[in-house]
Amino acid sequence: MIIKKISIENYLCYCGIKEFELSNGLNIILGENGEGKTKFFEAVDWLFNGNNNNLTSLVSAKTLNESEVGEDFRVRVAITVEQYDEKKIISKSFTVKKIADNECSTANYMLEGIEENKLGERNQVDGQRLLDNVFPFQIRKYSMFKGESELNIFESEDALTNLINLFSDAKHYDKYSEKGAFLREKAEKAVEDSTKSDKKNEALYKSLESEIFRLQQEQNKYQVHLNSTEEEISKIETNLHEAEKFVDNAVALETINKRVKNIEDEIALANRRIDENYTTSLFDEKWIAVNFEPIHKEFAEKVKQLSIDRRKLQSEFDKEQGIKEGERKAKAELLNNAVPLPDNIPSKAVMEEMLHDEICKVCNREALKGSEAYNFMFNRLQTYLQSQSKQEEVINDGPLFKKDYTNRLMNLSVSHEDNLKNLREIRTTIKDLFEFNAKWKKEIDLLKEKLEQEISEREKMLGNSSLAEERLNNVQKNYSSWQRDLKIKNKEQVDYEVKLKDIEGKLKSKKAEKDRIDLNSASKFLIKTREILRDIETIFKETKEKKFDAFIEKLEKKSNKIFKQINIDAFTGTIVFEKRNKTNKAIVKIELQEEGRTFYNPNQSLITSMHISILFAISELASEIQSENFPMIFDAPTSSFGENKTEQFLNLIFENGNQKVLLIKDFLYTDKNTKLLSIKDEFKKVKRNKAFWVKLERPFDPNNLITINTQVITL
Amino acid sequence: MENLFDKWKIKIPKYSEVHKELFESLSQKFGAEGEKKINLGKHFSTNYELYIYAFFLGIYNNEFAPIPSGEKKTDFSHHIQHWGSKSRLDRKDFTSLQENIFIALVAKTDIDILALEKGDIEEDEVVKQLIHTMESYTNGGLILIKEKFDENRNYFLQPTSFLDMILDCKIE
Repeated sequence: MIIKKISIENYLCYCGIKEFELSNGLNIILGENGEGKTKFFEAVDWLFNGNNNNLTSLVSAKTLNESEVGEDFRVRVAITVEQYDEKKIISKSFTVKKIADNECSTANYMLEGIEENKLGERNQVDGQRLLDNVFPFQIRKYSMFKGESELNIFESEDALTNLINLFSDAKHYDKYSEKGAFLREKAEKAVEDSTKSDKKNEALYKSLESEIFRLQQEQNKYQVHLNSTEEEISKIETNLHEAEKFVDNAVALETINKRVKNIEDEIALANRRIDENYTTSLFDEKWIAVNFEPIHKEFAEKVKQLSIDRRKLQSEFDKEQGIKEGERKAKAELLNNAVPLPDNIPSKAVMEEMLHDEICKVCNREALKGSEAYNFMFNRLQTYLQSQSKQEEVINDGPLFKKDYTNRLMNLSVSHEDNLKNLREIRTTIKDLFEFNAKWKKEIDLLKEKLEQEISEREKMLGNSSLAEERLNNVQKNYSSWQRDLKIKNKEQVDYEVKLKDIEGKLKSKKAEKDRIDLNSASKFLIKTREILRDIETIFKETKEKKFDAFIEKLEKKSNKIFKQINIDAFTGTIVFEKRNKTNKAIVKIELQEEGRTFYNPNQSLITSMHISILFAISELASEIQSENFPMIFDAPTSSFGENKTEQFLNLIFENGNQKVLLIKDFLYTDKNTKLLSIKDEFKKVKRNKAFWVKLERPFDPNNLITINTQVITL
Repeated sequence: MENLFDKWKIKIPKYSEVHKELFESLSQKFGAEGEKKINLGKHFSTNYELYIYAFFLGIYNNEFAPIPSGEKKTDFSHHIQHWGSKSRLDRKDFTSLQENIFIALVAKTDIDILALEKGDIEEDEVVKQLIHTMESYTNGGLILIKEKFDENRNYFLQPTSFLDMILDCKIE
């Protein structure tokens, strides 16, 4: 679609009918500030997007002034466009009736459409529908820009994404991926129903389902956290860089920042060394047993006494039972009538060995055959052997002790005896740890002191900056807290990523478990169908993503090409399109980078040319894809460029071919003496298809609107 | 061979419901994870850690305080033998602590092992006595903790609070 003609009638400074016969290609409209450029832009914008609010404010004061009271006239903006060799006229208008001096009423507001076929036959059609047909709303939105600031439509994260969706092939896959998801869900449901009919796994299956649901919710939750954290990080980073831009000694600031970070790392390391899990150590290191020795002693005494009592009772029992009279005597002969050792101590093997060697190995003395000591040992062994064979005789009365708990208690006592040494060391260990921790805490205090010094130095440095005082205070106040926030947020980011990875892993295993149950319970046919539909959905999704990515890649390439051309011979950096997957959708962000690092301090002209490059690239891609061109209208997009760069820029647009209307104030010159306004010779060098000069009719009184009338001069 | 320890450790000791609030506010079982643990004053990873702690505290201070018959008893359905089982990689085994508790119970309980060995009394009777001792000292320990808690709620926000209470016990 190209605009052939724009006609403006009695609209503000355009008194009477003023026409712009536009050419396909580059149209330049020159004009000094306040002479009608912006009103031209606004008139077109009103036609495209305006409404009937406050119509009287659009009326040309000069026309109104020159009308008689009671007279009518028309305010109208119309464009004539050509699309597929057909002419279409869209006009928005209303009538004005003068009711008194400087007073009027308005009526008959309308948007009209006229279609003219190849034969020249004209048809009246609905204006809004015609407008949307020839110049779709979404494209209109990205076709008209007023001033440099409005070029920055991509700051809103959705704008660029929407635009890409509009023009890339990816959108064609939307319906397929929706359908794919729908079919896959149906298949999943069928498999689930089939599995559920198998009562065997009902409970497990249900719990898996609710677990998967819970994990998915958790996943969404953390994804949202992660996204907002990432956004905050980028905001903080921007703030920091904004602030740093104003600091005179940026290098020194960087050095301090590095030192601050080093100290912070050291503090973190020292903190990790400090082990303050004292309560846990009570258990894991068994510190809780620190006072246990007396209790153990009490236990050991008790068990020892128990053992003695037991043997005493046994011995008495034996006496009463009248077993082995002689041995009883021998036992009674024991010194001080003490309780004898159990018969089986020393053991049979040891006794036999001692008898063989004729040595009492208990008291380490000779016990030659025939000696009293030898006989004692010999008799003792006999007693033991007899006690073993006599068992049967005793059985009638039953043994005194039917069970033996004492033995185990003795063992427990002995095995813990060795441990007492460790218990005594616990207090020393704790003391050492306290000292160790105290040492590191002191170290941390020193580091913190150092850190404070560095930070106050940094604040001083920020103080010596070129910022206005109010902003300076703001920066000083916030700089350190931004740094702190950044650290916290970075940690959060890592935490969330770890958490998400963990959830993903769990989800995967739960889903696999669910699939395994399906495999055993659901019909094979259903499972196969589900697998196929899952694959199909994946294919649609991936294709869509690939198309999207391919478009971004193309866009990036094209944008950078145009970017380099606009800024020929100057430093530019690279425009980078970064795609990020958010919870439900992908978003695209643009960033100016310099060797892979964010370029934080580009000047306005660089930013403007970046935005224009992207817009041009989109327009080029759109015309490649839609095989149709749409015009773009820019009001003063290059005010930061300077004449030289503007010339290069205009020549570039000229080469680009698509229809563009540019309103600029360059190339005009006022003679200091004569006050005459004229066009500079340099403008002759500017390649263009058509040029206009909008200029107020002289003489005029800037304070009196009724003297204002813009003339359109075709150059 | 007969082993009282094995019989004892399959039991679940109880505590008085009066102290339920302590378990809720001091053990991690009820909310709080990781670093937040100490910050919220939650020192204990599990209920049984607090139980063991209270037992030792009670016994070191000689606080034998049987749960009054009017108070309802409750437990956390966890057999002694599973206390401190190696379910977590970063924690250590508690078997030797279980033995310490058992040793203390035998030392402090007036049980007639010889009568048991003779078959005059039942094993269950003895184990019941041991558990009673255990519950009584634990109850004593919990009372001590509660006193500290009521005295100054912030006391347990210090990392050394529980360690200090143990180290401060003077035992002859």
